[in-house]
Amino acid sequence: MQVSGLTWRPFGRREPVLRGVTLQLGPGERVLLVGPSGSGKSTLLRALAGLLETADAGDLEGEVLVDGAAPGARPGAVGLVLQEPGTGVVAASVGRDVAFGPENVGMPPVAMPAVVASALSAVGLGDLPLDTPTSALSGGQTQRLALAGTLALDPWVVLLDEPTAMLDPRSAEDVRDAVAALTGVVRRSNRDEEWSGAPTEGLEGAGGHLVGERPPVLAGAATPTLVVVEHVLGPWVDLVDRLVVLSADGRVVADGPVRETLEIERHRLLDMGIWVPDEGPPPPLEVDPALIAPRRRPPDAVGGSGPAAALTAAPFTVERSTRLLDGTVRTRPAARLTSPLHAAPGTLTALVGPSGSGKSTVLHALAGFLDPTTADAVRVPTPGSGTPLGAVTVPGSGTSPGAGTAPGDLAAIDLARAMAWVPQWSSSTIVAATVLDEVLATSRVLGDVDPATSEHARSLLTTLRLGHLAGADPRQLSGGEQRRLAVAAALLHGPPVLLADEPTVGQDRRTWAAVVGLVAAYRSAGGAVVAATHDRHVVERATAVHRLEPPAGAVEPIRPAAVPLVARCGPLALLVGALLAIPAGVISPHWTTSLAVLATQALLALVGLSAPGPGTRSRGRLRTTGLRMLPGVVAALSVGWSTWFLAGRDLDPALTVALRVLVIVLPSAVLIPWIDPDRLGDHLAQRVRLPDRPVVATAAALQRVHSFGEVWGELARVRRIRGLGVSWRSPSSVAAHLGALTMGLLVRTLHAAAELAVAMDARGFATARARSWWLPAPWRWRDTLLVALATLPALVAVVAG
Amino acid sequence: MAPQITSEPRAAAPRSITATRPLLGWRTVDILTIAFLGAALGVAFWGWGVFYNGPLTALKIGYAPLMGLFAGPWFLAGVVGGLVVRRPGAALFCEVVAALVSMLPGTEWGATVLVSGILQGLGAELAFAVFGYKAFGAAVAVLAGVLSAPLEWAFEVVSFPASWADVPVLSVLADGGGWYAEWVPRDKLVYLGAMTLSGALLAGLLGWVLVRALARAGALSAFPAGQEQREIRAV
Repeated sequence: MQVSGLTWRPFGRREPVLRGVTLQLGPGERVLLVGPSGSGKSTLLRALAGLLETADAGDLEGEVLVDGAAPGARPGAVGLVLQEPGTGVVAASVGRDVAFGPENVGMPPVAMPAVVASALSAVGLGDLPLDTPTSALSGGQTQRLALAGTLALDPWVVLLDEPTAMLDPRSAEDVRDAVAALTGVVRRSNRDEEWSGAPTEGLEGAGGHLVGERPPVLAGAATPTLVVVEHVLGPWVDLVDRLVVLSADGRVVADGPVRETLEIERHRLLDMGIWVPDEGPPPPLEVDPALIAPRRRPPDAVGGSGPAAALTAAPFTVERSTRLLDGTVRTRPAARLTSPLHAAPGTLTALVGPSGSGKSTVLHALAGFLDPTTADAVRVPTPGSGTPLGAVTVPGSGTSPGAGTAPGDLAAIDLARAMAWVPQWSSSTIVAATVLDEVLATSRVLGDVDPATSEHARSLLTTLRLGHLAGADPRQLSGGEQRRLAVAAALLHGPPVLLADEPTVGQDRRTWAAVVGLVAAYRSAGGAVVAATHDRHVVERATAVHRLEPPAGAVEPIRPAAVPLVARCGPLALLVGALLAIPAGVISPHWTTSLAVLATQALLALVGLSAPGPGTRSRGRLRTTGLRMLPGVVAALSVGWSTWFLAGRDLDPALTVALRVLVIVLPSAVLIPWIDPDRLGDHLAQRVRLPDRPVVATAAALQRVHSFGEVWGELARVRRIRGLGVSWRSPSSVAAHLGALTMGLLVRTLHAAAELAVAMDARGFATARARSWWLPAPWRWRDTLLVALATLPALVAVVAG
Repeated sequence: MAPQITSEPRAAAPRSITATRPLLGWRTVDILTIAFLGAALGVAFWGWGVFYNGPLTALKIGYAPLMGLFAGPWFLAGVVGGLVVRRPGAALFCEVVAALVSMLPGTEWGATVLVSGILQGLGAELAFAVFGYKAFGAAVAVLAGVLSAPLEWAFEVVSFPASWADVPVLSVLADGGGWYAEWVPRDKLVYLGAMTLSGALLAGLLGWVLVRALARAGALSAFPAGQEQREIRAV
């Protein structure tokens, strides 16, 4: 790979992000690319993949050549794995996702299973069934799936953009194992090694294991060139042989063998905020405690029994219910707090445990966003009561379990007085248009708008090196800047408790020092902190550690339910069947006809929803269908009424339009729930011959619709805990809330689309002209039968009419 | 691939930046953005449908044709899609995806939602096509909102005369019609007026404001709408 004189200025920036970058990468070479945040490391990776202009626009000079041609000349020649797990997932199942690249280059479907299987086993996912839902994978598995997706196209170059920054240590190690195997490195895993420079390393004491050399990924494939972007160098040093350093203004300032370069550039790297091996954590930033002192702390307990806790929790379990398509509900425990939690002034309580142990879920329950099973397990002081809480509130123990209030019962403004929350994605917490307004948002809601508060805010921003950005739009800040801003904005109004979800993960040394310094100052001023964390150095500072385990068992074995007849039909037949109701409704001239049509439809619905054959019986189907009919029934009634009213109080036309609505809606309620988005995509492209790329994009969007609900919930929680919730008595607050949430959801959605575009183009989607398909889209006799039966109501309408 | 930008960004601000040439050369990010926007707006459509049926039912019972005043939000996807991607087909594609998504959880309109999506999207598409996909200001957005209404209106109020009973083939349609076929012509016209007004304001103007806000939030940097904002406020 030859990079010469690469300069890139995105529109909207006066200065280029990359300046005259020239690099030469040999076959099989393994390169670690480092630089301060904002130095254009990710941008350079996208340039190497030829994807700079995929989701951005700007002035580009210089060129990148892979084997003498542009990076996109052979689809998949340059593979790219993005930082955030899941951004590059294109399909709902593991097999289909890995096959995406082969599909784009038109690989014959018979050849796909072997390629997919070898790519999956190369990243250590060979044991996963191919129909495993991608949404069921952990973060580390998702990153390895992304790597498998690039391997399926036999890449010459593999680019990894901070692939482990958002993972817990064990998952990160799994990803590095996969990379090691890919490049043929024999290494001892450093699971049990000494502190290696990364703040998130070393907490999980799993036994070390030896990673042997695995066979090349795909038979006959050469070892690909590897470029990794990272700011935690320790775990990667053994995996690479060359280090390239970018400066803050986007130039290559050092380039050489990894160990020598690391030695020579050590101080420059530390200045850049990079985690260098054998270097302890930086000293925490000094923050004046007076700026963030908890001014809303509960009064100390009378009677000298020690300081009152601002938040207490008895052991609890959080359960999560999933409603399945056939109407049944499955409930399983999602997290379990096993010992009482007592957040007293000056303490730091750490929640630790492997990923999937429910640390975030416990935090959500502490903030009242989720209901724990002992409904009164979490207590905060009742607002305005002035009475302190007792000590630890344990049901059945001496103190009254009823003291205080559950956070879930507080109004938004009282919740903001009681606690603050910093979620893992700090970009989602933004509620204001400027950095200064962001810090002041909650104080304003609470009525603290005196000049002293503004002064505090400005001093705090200056301490965090955000002072010059006070007037900037917070959405335009870097990730590290947003993280510092999020903590500052959570603390300025002086809540007594701070709940923080992985406050230091993925941060460079500067932001790490700032966040740890803020937390230390807050504690010394009397604040209580509860943090979910993997960071060994945060845990070392804790006064109490709760180790969480993934809640065991209690998952009912899934007995296969009997499949109703309609669900055995293809998506096109289901769609056509639903659409055929329109002519049936339109050509019914009179309600007497419609009645006959409706009776036919109801009969067909009963047959279609029956489920002969083996499997458990489901009682939910008819009820679910009934629920789906409810809007149609309401519509029929109101349309019928208004027609009766407008058509001179004549019952005849009113009945006609009302029944017409029911005729049109009933088949949709029966058939549409059984349409699977991925299968619909398969059929629309292969049977209807709609253009491939829009169909694939639509299927990808459809399978992410469920995530919109999560994003919406997260944005709503952030607004609530910052005191910006809704009051149904004030319609304007409801409108503002809905507007802010919609806007936030759209911004997140658009970012997701841009990231997915990069991931898809890295796997040959841009040039996919003659795609092949992982699964065929057969039209079967039962599809014909369904369509034939679905025309019956229309025939009845003609005959009876 | 370089977008067409004049050398003086500020001078260019009043004029719209067009999509990269060729206009029909959809980039992956164009396709995905339309699909994702459509999906997100589809969820919003479904939510609006619940509101439309619930709190607004009183109005429906009072004088139903005024319900057209609340039809505008359903035209939003076409307007927004067209304004963001600025390529032929963007408005139609976005509106159809939104309709498809809002149909899946189940609405009071069943599969007709898909037909409505096509009809509304075609209307919005027409507005952008009339200007050759070169103008994307507030006026064009309002026009797109206005033109989303007529085809949808026709679909809802069409009624086939009883006299067709003697005509071959067409006889099956005789005396049939859409949701509001039984209304008298005056009510149908009021409905059209209400829908058009709603389309102009709640789809056209609101869509234009929304796209501008998204561009200012930095969410449209891959698109002409985002570049207009960024070149104006370069840092």
